[in-house]
Amino acid sequence: MAGHDHSELTKGGAHPHHVLPQGMIFLIAGGLFAGMAATIGAAFMIPEPLHSNTFFMQSLALAIAIFKACLVVYFYMGVKFGTRLVKIFAYGGFIWFFTLFIMMADYTSRPMEPVPGWETVPSSALPRNTVEDPE
Amino acid sequence: MSATLIDNATAEQPRNDRNYLNADHTLKSWLLTVDHKRIGILYLIAVTIFFFIGAVAAAMIRYELTSPHGILLSSEVYNKTFSAHGIYMVFQFLVVAIPAVLGNFLIPLMIGARDMAFPRLNLLSWYMFMTGGLLITLSFILGGVDAGWTFYVPLSTLSETQISLCLVGIFITGFSSIFTAVNFIATIHKMRAPGMTWYRLPLYIWSHYSTAIVILLGTPVVAITLFLVVVERGFGFGIFSPELGGDPVLFQHLFWFYSHPAVYIMILPAFGVISEIITCFSRRPIFGYRFIAYSSVAIAFLGFLVWGHHMFLSSQSVLQGLIFSIITWILAVPSAIKVFNWTTTMYKGSIHFSTPMLYALGFMGLFLIGGLTGLHLASIDTDVHLTGTYFIVAHFHYVMVGGTIMGYLGGIHFWFPKMFGRTYSEMWGRISAMIVFVGFNLTFFPQFIVGYLGMPRRYHYYYFAPEWQFYHILSTAGSTVLGIGFLLPGIYLTYAIFKGKKAGPNPWGAKGLEWEQAGSPPITENFEKPVLVLEDPYNYNPEEDSKMYEHEVESADMLGGRK
Amino acid sequence: MSGHAHAQGDGPEVYFQYEDIDQQQESYVVGMWAFLMTEVMFFGALFLIYTLYRWKFHDTFFLAHEQLNWKMGGLNTAVLLFSSVMVAFAVHFAQKGKKTAQLICLGMTLMCAFGFLVIKSFEYGAKGDHKLYPNYTFEYGAHDKDHKVESWWDDNLPAFMHIEKKEQHGDPKNAKLFYSIYFTMTGLHGLHVVIGIIAITSLMVLIIIKSPLITDYVPTELVGLYWHFVDLVWIFLYPLFYLIPR
Ligand code: HEM
Ligand SMILES: [Cu+2]
Repeated sequence: MAGHDHSELTKGGAHPHHVLPQGMIFLIAGGLFAGMAATIGAAFMIPEPLHSNTFFMQSLALAIAIFKACLVVYFYMGVKFGTRLVKIFAYGGFIWFFTLFIMMADYTSRPMEPVPGWETVPSSALPRNTVEDPE
Repeated sequence: MSATLIDNATAEQPRNDRNYLNADHTLKSWLLTVDHKRIGILYLIAVTIFFFIGAVAAAMIRYELTSPHGILLSSEVYNKTFSAHGIYMVFQFLVVAIPAVLGNFLIPLMIGARDMAFPRLNLLSWYMFMTGGLLITLSFILGGVDAGWTFYVPLSTLSETQISLCLVGIFITGFSSIFTAVNFIATIHKMRAPGMTWYRLPLYIWSHYSTAIVILLGTPVVAITLFLVVVERGFGFGIFSPELGGDPVLFQHLFWFYSHPAVYIMILPAFGVISEIITCFSRRPIFGYRFIAYSSVAIAFLGFLVWGHHMFLSSQSVLQGLIFSIITWILAVPSAIKVFNWTTTMYKGSIHFSTPMLYALGFMGLFLIGGLTGLHLASIDTDVHLTGTYFIVAHFHYVMVGGTIMGYLGGIHFWFPKMFGRTYSEMWGRISAMIVFVGFNLTFFPQFIVGYLGMPRRYHYYYFAPEWQFYHILSTAGSTVLGIGFLLPGIYLTYAIFKGKKAGPNPWGAKGLEWEQAGSPPITENFEKPVLVLEDPYNYNPEEDSKMYEHEVESADMLGGRK
Repeated sequence: MSGHAHAQGDGPEVYFQYEDIDQQQESYVVGMWAFLMTEVMFFGALFLIYTLYRWKFHDTFFLAHEQLNWKMGGLNTAVLLFSSVMVAFAVHFAQKGKKTAQLICLGMTLMCAFGFLVIKSFEYGAKGDHKLYPNYTFEYGAHDKDHKVESWWDDNLPAFMHIEKKEQHGDPKNAKLFYSIYFTMTGLHGLHVVIGIIAITSLMVLIIIKSPLITDYVPTELVGLYWHFVDLVWIFLYPLFYLIPR
């Protein structure tokens, strides 16, 4: 990759290594709007019993969102045509995002604790800023 | 024999009068500079001021603790004092000091570039840093902050002090370090001179690269977390508030998700400095280059997976605590690798006990103690007893002062001739290095003991156990010595900037582009001639230095340190 | 900035710290991606918070979300998607060196951005009327009748597609949590839109006055990357807030 970047041909060139063709832009745009329609459509038109299956519905919505995100990142943001370095940073950020979700391990394993935890709000946690208690 | 280098290294290269310091003298030329070296100096001035403010707060804390009943401060003021100490020292000094001062100054020089990739962004980060610092200072002028540097909710959301303002300041400072990190990343990736391959980079660059990665991935998380506290205080939203069903421990999770990596933001650059100093003053190539380089990267990534060790006693689940405890133990390995490698580097080298080396040796001893006590804290069962006591205070001062500040001072002393083109008094340098070492141990070792006995942190009295006064007085006495140790360099270095003897381009006989191919001080474009790198780094040879060590060269070869 | 070491004829200018134009352009792109990485983590923390509370209080979140206007949100999605397409075209034309076309596309983007904010402000305003600002004024369920607005959909589709409205409203406290997250996330996203507007406007002005700062397509590409990121965030925000499944 680095080989062709610094070859004599491109050296000092003012021109980008890759231009996303107009047809492609239209195509991706079509994909994005179709994705949007699919999201809304899925939220309202999927029949029961699937419609009340939260897990299914949520996965579907996220899958469509991820599909759209991939289109944007891959084509519009040019990661597909970017150097290896750009790819590393682009994917790295999105992958590292998931380390945050290690926190969920804490919350899902709290019910295993022998003592009551977050489930019961301790009486010491007095309400504030609530309408019931204007003080 | 050891002090000779600095004296006879004056006339190695015909000196060019033009340099980055005298390129222009107006104040405007400094405040609007885009030269990475000048920006480094601007940072130097700024962090020194913030360090001074933090140190005054520390002195007040130590004075207060000499009596079991407290002397000077009310509880409220005491809370604000230790908060000020923590906030200034961590956010305005430790996180920034080495990367922004030495990193800015040296990275382009070390990789053979004319400047950072984004010079104007670099200047912008300095201004953001100053804005953040000013807002924090303003918050203390307007009444102070009493939630400690950790800002745990609901304490920080309920407190009636200037927390919002202070948090906004920290937020801005955080973005300043993000921009610095962006600059480092782009510079290290794209600006290396021809021939400067990744494995020819000085280890200093590797550690700064790892630091930049940690800053990029961690700082935004703490920024948003602190922002949420501001929102909660300002608009009455309630993301962490238990009465809405929110979980305050979530704040701790998010806070430590950054703040554990942040301790590596503080220590990794110091590792880099130490690698440079140890090799130079042992006259030996570094032992295990790739191990040290990759251990930095390993620390950067693994450092993100251990934050839970700060939360063993919060309502985090025991299972999660267990996992974090194990990963923390694993994380100690890469740090240990470095210390072993430095030790081996020195083995049969020709060691010069010059000032930077004294700091580096001090660093190794103190970091060792700090790291090992960290392992006491990393085991859940001992941590249950030690958390929230002075044992922790001692632990993190051993790593942050004994590690980062020793590294910083060592680095400043090492590169001082490069930065200002003059040399300081070697005698005073050594004396003050010794004073710092002695004063430091006197201050913080008693805290291990008193913490182990049960002295809680953040208390300003201990009338229930007056027998602890002995340790506290020792500690306060030590901190006075330590203070003198910090003041002395301030004096003789400032003196040397103006009156010191002129230094040659390479007063230490060190290897590296900044020494071998740039003047002292360097010109604005850093290098007179185009740079081409053909050598591995740390191409030292103990033989060159003193023939009588000849037989050791073979063992150096056998150990694989020499290429 | 004394020496711009080597400007090459009428080609783009190479700043003095760089060796050649390739190095310069790549540095900028890499720098921008490094910054976007932090942006991912910035919003990432918020998405984590959302996930946690959503998992914890799913039922209340579902009920609370029904007060959000999914049509407005959908309209905003369309607006942002369209603006993203426009930016992609702007970058395309910048790379081809077609200035007028590029300016037109940027202008369209700018209009979309303002449109987004206007729609958003209507939405926020409506939330205020319904006493849904998550501060001391918060009064969950104050205006129940109004959210019948949604029923247009129910009236126009066969019965099996109707969305059943549950009777209860969930726990008002947790609903306040929902709105706290909603306002924080959409608010920060809105802030990013504002920053984007500033960036695009400055870019356009610099291009129009033929500023020496803009000598090639890279500034447009960087602004484009940023704007696509803003769009990206919204792509997730929309289904997660406006279309929570039961
Ligand atoms: C080599 C390994 C290290 C280990 C195993 C380690 C372990 C720990 C543990 C377990 C704690 C939590 C104690 C508690 O709250 O009960 C802790 C606290 C702390 N450590 Fe370390 N640590 C290490 C290195 C460092 C380094 C290099 C630094 C900084 C440069 C550092 C700075 C801190 C700070 C600031 C705290 C206290 C934070 C607070 O509660 O205010 N540690 N360490
Ligand atoms: Cu830690």
